[in-house]
Amino acid sequence: MTEQEQSVTNGIATVSYQAGNDGRQQLISGDMWQPVNIVNRQAWDAIEKQIQHTREKIHRGSWSCLRYYMVINHMDTGLLAKYSNQLRIVVYLHTLPLFFKRLGTGTLQKYADIFDVTVEDLQQGKLRAPVYGTEQGEEHAAC
Amino acid sequence: MQPVDFTHSQSAHCESGVCSNLLTHKGLPMSEAMAFGMGGGLFFGYLPFIRLHNLPLVTYRAAAGGILKHFANAPGFTMHQKQFRDKEQAVAELDAALAQSIPVGLQTGVFWLPYFPRALRFHFNAHNLVVYGREGDDYLVSDPVFPTPVRCPVADMTRARFASGALAPKGKMYYFTQTPQTIDHHHFITEGIRFVCKLMIGSPFPLIGVKGIRFLAKRLEKWPHKLGKERADLHLGHVVRMQEEIGTGGGGFRFMYAAFLQESATLLQDPYLEQCAALFTQSGDTWRAFAASAARVCKDRPREEDTYQAMAATLRECAAKEEQVFSNLRTWLDDQQ
Repeated sequence: MTEQEQSVTNGIATVSYQAGNDGRQQLISGDMWQPVNIVNRQAWDAIEKQIQHTREKIHRGSWSCLRYYMVINHMDTGLLAKYSNQLRIVVYLHTLPLFFKRLGTGTLQKYADIFDVTVEDLQQGKLRAPVYGTEQGEEHAAC
Repeated sequence: MQPVDFTHSQSAHCESGVCSNLLTHKGLPMSEAMAFGMGGGLFFGYLPFIRLHNLPLVTYRAAAGGILKHFANAPGFTMHQKQFRDKEQAVAELDAALAQSIPVGLQTGVFWLPYFPRALRFHFNAHNLVVYGREGDDYLVSDPVFPTPVRCPVADMTRARFASGALAPKGKMYYFTQTPQTIDHHHFITEGIRFVCKLMIGSPFPLIGVKGIRFLAKRLEKWPHKLGKERADLHLGHVVRMQEEIGTGGGGFRFMYAAFLQESATLLQDPYLEQCAALFTQSGDTWRAFAASAARVCKDRPREEDTYQAMAATLRECAAKEEQVFSNLRTWLDDQQ
């Protein structure tokens, strides 16, 4: 099994219904069915591509680091607006460096709490790991 | 706080698993497949106007909470359900129920649960689990898709209970306050089948049931032309991902429903249901063949026969099989009256 095909469950045995030789359905414990891993990998590849694209845009100064935290935590402006109790358009504006730089500590704290980072991380444009943790190292960007 | 003596059983689907575990705890032993079937859990819907990660929603099961609602509304059952605005109140009420030795079902957002594998942490807010105790700052959790009970810090669980977005749980907690000592299996089985039959073959709405599968087949054929290869493959992968939600064994929830029909056949001593179960297993196998073909396309290693047209034909085959089995079941229901 290649790395690409490795189970998305990190080795946690799930159960599924399968017909035995007598045709009776039974719960079988085991790893996930291989096509599931393939399509899950496909979804993650798409997300990783989006993260890479976001990093590039942040380095070029087109987007603020808030966009990175949003993308790496699988959110869009609508969902982040719900979590931060703000209008969608306001969140969108905060993803632009011009508006992000002017944010007060209160709003930054709100974002920091959602993404498990500090206000300083956001102010300094540090790109930390997502809430669920990852092996990706941090790097800095000009927010 | 002394943990409740709660038996954890692993299951293929969270809501039917929680339902089965809670009922078994209340002295009404029930398998997961039985809870799924009696709760009318099977469905098909292709709803392109609802987007998940900018991809159309495809669902193979009833709306989240539907199975539990079925039991909560059934005669002889009463269920205490509550949603909250205030997080502290939600924690306090959960702790109070645990102090009374009541295992509590919770609706949560998967993304915030730290014990979930990284790759499965998407913003899906209708994941059900049971909390059966608290030790210090940790809850003892019986998450039915995991092989053993797990622990979850109170702060993370609270975050998961108050996840935002589609199907936001709003701290929802529930538990059965009253269950009958025995149930009329015949009544529950026929009602469960009647409910699913109505949705699968009796709905005039073209996006759900058997009509929905045919509608998806029609759309799927056009994807490469309309969306280009990359987007078409993403859409296809999404259909399979929705189909293969944890542990359904490749066939949506078709194999689980077949298990329900087999169990019902034994309970009611009716071999006709056994025949319907065999047909349903065939339908599940066809869904699985579709998924295998789609996975090869997504991996960019298609065989000659793995075309979008061929996959659409497989879906039409699934639709035909399910139409037949539900017509048979409707005839069976008419005979029961």
